Order: sequence, then structure tokens, then C-alpha cells
Amino acid sequence: MTLSTSLRREMEKAPPKGSYMPHYFRYLGYRDHLGEPIEQLRAEGIYALFTEPVPHIYRHDLIVGNTRCLYTAQSPLVEQQAASLVGRIGLRHFGTNADHFAPHYQHVLEVGVPGLIGELRQSLARYAGDEGKCRTLQAMLLTVEGFFQMIRHYGEQAEAMKGRKRYDSERLAFIAENCRALLAGPPKTFAQALQLVWLSHTAFMMEGRYAMALGRMDQYLYPFYARDVAAGTLSREGAIVLLENTFAKIPTNDVVNICIGGDDEQGTCQVNELSFCILQAVKNGNVPGPNLSARISPGTPDDFLRACLQSIGTGLGYPALMNDTVNIAALRRYGYEERDVYHYCMVGCIENFITGMQPPWSDGRFDAPRFFEYIFNRGVSEVSGTLGVDTGALSGITSMRAFLRCLEKQLSHGVAEYCATFRAYNDGINQAYYTEPFLSCFCYDCIGRGLDINNGGSKYPSVHGAALMGVGTMSDSLAAIEQVVFIDRAATLTELGEALRCNFEGYEALRAKLLAAPKYGNGDEFVDKYAVWFLDFLSSQFDQYKTRDGGGIYVAMAANTSNISAGKCIAATPDGRLRGEPLSDAASPTYGRDKNGITQTLNSVTRPDYTKAACGTVVNQKLSPAMFCGEKLDKLMALVRTYFKKGGQELQMNATSRKVLLAAMAEPEKYGSLVVRVSGFSDYYVRLSRDVQLDILNRTQHE
Amino acid sequence: MMMLNVSHIQHFSVGDGDGIRTTVFFKGCNLHCPWCHNPETISQAPTTLHYKSPLGDELRGRLLSVEEVLCEVLKDKEYYEESGGGVTFSGGEVMLQAEGAQALAKRLRERGVSLAVDTAGCVPWHAFALLNPYVDTYLYDLKTASARRYATVIGGSLSLVLENLRRLLTAGKQVRVRVPLIPGFNTDSRSLVALRDCLREVGAQTVDLLPFHRLGSGKYEAMGLAYPYRAVKPLGEARLAHIKDYFSPYFTVKIE
Repeated sequence: MTLSTSLRREMEKAPPKGSYMPHYFRYLGYRDHLGEPIEQLRAEGIYALFTEPVPHIYRHDLIVGNTRCLYTAQSPLVEQQAASLVGRIGLRHFGTNADHFAPHYQHVLEVGVPGLIGELRQSLARYAGDEGKCRTLQAMLLTVEGFFQMIRHYGEQAEAMKGRKRYDSERLAFIAENCRALLAGPPKTFAQALQLVWLSHTAFMMEGRYAMALGRMDQYLYPFYARDVAAGTLSREGAIVLLENTFAKIPTNDVVNICIGGDDEQGTCQVNELSFCILQAVKNGNVPGPNLSARISPGTPDDFLRACLQSIGTGLGYPALMNDTVNIAALRRYGYEERDVYHYCMVGCIENFITGMQPPWSDGRFDAPRFFEYIFNRGVSEVSGTLGVDTGALSGITSMRAFLRCLEKQLSHGVAEYCATFRAYNDGINQAYYTEPFLSCFCYDCIGRGLDINNGGSKYPSVHGAALMGVGTMSDSLAAIEQVVFIDRAATLTELGEALRCNFEGYEALRAKLLAAPKYGNGDEFVDKYAVWFLDFLSSQFDQYKTRDGGGIYVAMAANTSNISAGKCIAATPDGRLRGEPLSDAASPTYGRDKNGITQTLNSVTRPDYTKAACGTVVNQKLSPAMFCGEKLDKLMALVRTYFKKGGQELQMNATSRKVLLAAMAEPEKYGSLVVRVSGFSDYYVRLSRDVQLDILNRTQHE
Repeated sequence: MMMLNVSHIQHFSVGDGDGIRTTVFFKGCNLHCPWCHNPETISQAPTTLHYKSPLGDELRGRLLSVEEVLCEVLKDKEYYEESGGGVTFSGGEVMLQAEGAQALAKRLRERGVSLAVDTAGCVPWHAFALLNPYVDTYLYDLKTASARRYATVIGGSLSLVLENLRRLLTAGKQVRVRVPLIPGFNTDSRSLVALRDCLREVGAQTVDLLPFHRLGSGKYEAMGLAYPYRAVKPLGEARLAHIKDYFSPYFTVKIE
């Protein structure tokens, strides 16, 4: 058993007595400083959170840092008091820029914690006399001092545990030495650098932040790696062990994005040996939590892309493949300095982020297919109980063009409503009251400017991501209307509206015609043109709005599984989708409707201009495990290269596991596009008889 | 206008030649292999597959113009170029439509698309003569080395098949011989040795072994036919490795 496997086993064991109570420790800081200004008060809370708990070190730790120390047993009265006080003082959360952030680790590693403290002191001296900035900087300084103490506590704890039963003294000495070194200055070794990053990340987790990215680890850790390897003090395998030991501590319900690869300003691919080590470490770990993204460009070497695909093929599904060319072009539209654009990474699932230079991200969902009902029902959605605008009687809509104009009017109103709602929520809090003193120290240029991350400190303004849902549902619906109503004249809009209202009950023949119309994902321009329109139109609409500090509202074509929940309260749509059925997923065609092979799926999917989706895109594809082996892997590699050359933004592949095949046997209607391929033959899996499906299943077991 | 009788067109074919390919399945065959996994391609007439699954019925067999087929297969040109792939003609027996296939093949050559042709080769040489200038690779099926079995089970002439194969090899065409491994038909030791010797004799260099599978049984059901191989299990891995050993000393062997 490897060290990380043992570590994961150890972590699964029951937590210590008491309950998980970060607020208790924060409370200790608040309790004694209630008279202080809010910035100071918050910093005191964080200082206590970092310094009061007793660090926990796992027996199998090489790199330390976890939140187990936040379990504590307190009387119900204390617990209640702590929760109440901390709750009232309040914290930011996802909608108000608290997490989904990629810290500026490169800078923190360059100067170390003592260096950060030095920068804060310098800034304090520079702004002497500016009471507001000094208060902000004092608060930041206090939290970094707290973090400094936390590192010291970890080191001392390791030292004190030497000789303890079942603990390995050598490992404890290694930990103690690394922590000690971080108190003296910037990290000098790969292990120390990794330790500093992980303790920072631990501190963010202790603060209650979710989806904090580790960002471009292969870039900011590489100088340390290269130096140690050259000096003969670190091997490739040794680095992988340290990385695995770190990643094992990422909670499996978190989404900690790690980004590898990518071009620099000169267009040179930055993949290095550490990129491979990180890939290997994530693959060895084989757990969700670390969300690995690979930035792929035309210059990405084949061996790296091949290694990525092999990792995906293990069933892990990682890394998600990101098209560097498209993402860079997308971000360029928003006025970032050229050199900063190249340092983008992802936070959360796929959201593009200028590392350490913008406030935390926020996202929302835009359920575009809802807007059909407003047209068919004079501005009223009975199914969702919401109002759109009245675009007039259906009899007045006499062409496809006119219908599209009505839909644009509806969507335009919807976008305005979305942005107003978001701004009300996001601006609704007092930015100066909800300060983030610790997080600010990891964002350029908060220290230099003496300002909080959410109050003018960050180099770039906050941006918001509006996830456009249902591109497949929308495109299929519009194509069906064009075909059935305006070309074949097989039904009027009024009849279609009536059919939708009845959820197609009594209109089965009409539904069959709608279902027979061309569908998105088959390389058919007749329907694909609506996907192009969808992204063009909606991104232009969202571009008219700004965040509170002047940043953009970026669009995404990704919404995790929200397409399912959103679909539940949306009426039947003209593509033949029944009321309550899921919308199409992310930027993918509707499940089961892309029946012409993956190249045709991707030919459709690459029609829209994704440089208009600056937030990001998700295209999910399932492939047989056999595609990830031997010479088929080279074919898959060519598929990815072509897809990216054609302007695809992202590809999230999954090898069809036994689990997927079993699910397809149970619910065939959901897996209509799952294809089985052998030489000279292909067929839909759901169409095979049960014993033949079992033949495939048995083969998959071996793969 | 030159029309082609096409069963269906399959994008992203990865088992029928180099790279990413699109396979055009021509409709109509002059053989009747009882294990055939594409039974709907045998008859020249349109065939409806009646499926019980949610995907419903499917009609196979349409007369398409050369330009229509060309337009469809060119959709994936960028994938061919990146992967070293191209288009594969398969069937059915494409050589029965040699003139139409030649017209399409010419158009593909003009567009710089590589072409592979999958054939059983049981046709007059004339058909090959028409297509040869435009074909980069032949995928040449050899199902048995027994003339008697070829005639009685499959319904063709082995000597014609071997004669054409010999002529292709002599002409220096790139040929990948493909042997379907059918339990009870050609996987016994005697049949394998005979196949091997026959292939050595004609001068084949590479042999692709295509293990039997019964994925096509659903199609028989959908056509209302009984599939004689319905209950035949696929060959196991050990058996396949053993069969491969017959060929590997003499040829470059691949199991597809």
C-alpha cells in the first residue's frame, strides 16, 4: 500500500470527539474584541481561527495541513453563542465573492510569509496618515501573523510528536524542518514550497472557503522542482509522492482546480516535467476533489496530450481539456494586460480566472428554454409561475425571422432581469463591512494599494459568470419550428402553442414531426445556425451589463447538473421535449440526439464562436474504454487536436465504464447515442439485445 | 447522374483502416456469409429495421448521388488530415457498384482524401481495374482456404478471390488481408493452417484477425430473420492469442 493510500484510510477513520466548529474559534477572537472596528474584528476572528486550534498531523503525512483541528467539544450554550455571534457578523459567500479564487501563489512563494509581513509593514509606513488604508493593512497584517503562528504550531507539533507510538520520527522531522524554514524566509525546496501552498490552502478551508484553486502548480512550483532535481535532493518519484500526499487531503466533495500546461506570451508551450508529475499524482490518487484541467495548445507535445488521455481513460475522467487558443482569445476581449492573460487558470469547474488578480468568482444560471412559453402564452409562464414580456398574438408572427425577433425580445428582457437580480444581491451587501483581510494578501495588488480585495484592492474588477443553459434544447426547438411550422406548414404556431400547453397530450402526431426535425449535434447547418445565434445573441446582451466594480458579465456554456433541476419547472418545448424533462446539458447536444458519430457532434459543437464565452464551456462526451488504448489512442488524440483547431473550447471525456453500460441497460431512453464500435460495424448500445449487451459488459470488465 | 446504392454512412470509424475514417456501406452483396454482422446490406432493395427500443425504426438503403455522398464524407476532412485517415468503402460488396464507386473515388482523389476499399474480392477483375488508380489500401477479406466451403457456405468462388488477391499484390497495391474468425467455420487447427499456407502462397504481408461477435443479432431480429449465430459466444482472449500464434511467425498480425 502506498503512503497516500494509507493516508486516505487514516483520514476515513472517525473524526475526533465533538463537532466541526470553525465558528467557535472565530468566536474566540470576536469575543474579546467586540469594540474594535469591523476590519480589526474580522482579523481577530481569523487570528484566533488560525492560532487557537491544535494542529492535527496524520501518521502518514509528509505535507501537513487539514481541518480536523476544528473539531471541538463545547457546551451547548457556548456552541449556540458562538454560532449566533459569528452568524450575525456574517461572512461573504459564493454569490458575494468569497470563494472560487486562485491565489497568487507564485508571489507568495517568491517572498515567503516573512516577506508578506515585510510588504505589509512597508505599505503601512507608506500610507501612514491614511487611516482607512492603515486599518485595512493592519487587519491584513494580523491575519498573516496568525498564519505565521499556525505554521509554527504545525512545526512544533511535529517536533513534539517525535517518538510517539506508530509515528515515523523521520517524517515528523521532515515536517518540522519544512515548517521551521517557512518561518525564516521564502521556501527553499520543492517540499517547503508545496508545504507553504498547502498550508495556505488549509487556512482558506478553515475560513470556510470552497472551490479554492491551486492554479498553475506546474509553473509556480517548477523552479523549486528543477533546483532540487539538479541538486540531486529530489527525484521525479519523490515529487509525485509529495504531491499525492497533498492531493489526498483535498476533500472529495470539494472542487479544487489544478491547471497544467498552457502557452506563454511568446506562444511557447509551458509543459514541463512537473506537469507530468502532477498528472501522475492525480491519476494515482484516483479520487474526485482535485479537479485537474490541462491547457492544450497547438504547441502542446503529443506525449503530454497522450498522457492526459491515458489518465482520462482510466475512468478518472481527468484532466478536462481546455483549448488555450480559444480561452486566451476570449479573455483578451475584456482588456486584461497581455502578460496577465497568459497566467489564467480555472476556478471551480471551468471558470477562467486571471490568477491572483481579480476578486473571487460568482456564477448564476440562465435557463433560456423557459422563454418559449412567454411567446406562446402572452408573456406568462404558467409552469414556472413567472412573467416575461407580451410579444403579441401568435397569429401576428408570420415568419421564422419574426419568431426569432420575439424570442430575442423575451431573452433581452430576461437578461436585464437576471443582471438586475444579480446586482441587487451582489451589491446588496456593504463591501466595506464584509472585508477579507487574509484572502486579500493573496491577491495582487491589495497590499500595495492598501485596499481590501473586494473594495478596489485587486488589479482587475470582479467578474460574474452567467451559465447559459440548454443550447441543444434551444437550437432543436428553433429548427423544429422552422421545419414544421414555416417550411412544411404542418402546424400553425397557435396549434404548436396549444400542443405545448397540453404537454403534447392529444398532439402525438405533431410531436413526432417535431422530433423528426434536424437535431443539434449531427453536423447539420439547418439547426447548428441556431446554436451560433444563441451564443452570439446572449453574449452580446450580457456584454451590456457590468458588475458592481465595472467587470464583465461573462457567459458560460456549462451548468453542472442544473439542466436537470431547471428542466423540472420548464414547460414542454418545441423540440418535442416534455414538461419537466431535463434541458440539454452544458454545451452538448441533447442526450441521445447526436446520432451521427462523435465527429459530427463536434462539427456542430464547434460552430458557435466560443471566444464569446469567456467564462468557459463544458462539452461532455462518453467514449468506449478501447479508444484510450493502443493505436486508437492516437486517433483520439487527432480527434482532440482537430476539435480544438476547429474552435472547440473544452472537452470533458469519460470512458464508458461498466456503471454507464449498466445504467444504459436500465434506462435506455437516456443513452440513445451510446455507440458500440468494432471493425466494420457500429450500433447503438441500447438497441442490442440483453445477452449481447452482456458480451460488451464483460469485455469492459477486462478493460 | 451516377447514383450509388448506399446502406448507410458511418462517421468516426476507427477499426477500418488508418486514422479517423468515414465508412460508406454500399448496399447489395453477392455472398451470403451466415455470420454476417451487417445483414441489412446484403439485399439491394431498401431494408427497414424494426427496433423495439426507443430509437424506433430505421430505413437502410437509399440511392444517393456521388455529390451527395461526397458532401457527407467531406464533413470530416479535417479529422482525416489530422489523423492520417480518410474514407473507407465497405458493404455489402462495393465492387458490385464499381462504376459508381469509381466516380466517387475520383472525386475523393481530387480532394486529396485517402481511400480504403473493404471487399471480399469475389468479382471480375474488371471492377478492380476501374478502382485501382484511386485506392490507397484494400482491406481484403479472406474467409476460408477451402474452395468447397467457400462455394457451399458463402456462395462464392475461392479461385476468383485468390486470383484477384494475387493480381493486386503483384500490381504492388497495399493490401491488408482480413480474416474473420468464425467459431465452427474456420477456427479449427486444420482451417487455420490452410488459411495461413494459402496466404503465404499468395504473398500477403499483413493479416488482420477479426474475432467473431454477435453484435449484429439485433439487426436480424429487427429484420424478422433468425440469426444462425445467435447463441454462439465470442472467442475468449486465450483462444484468440492461440489463433494469433498460427499467423504471427509469417505476417504482421493485428487483432481488430
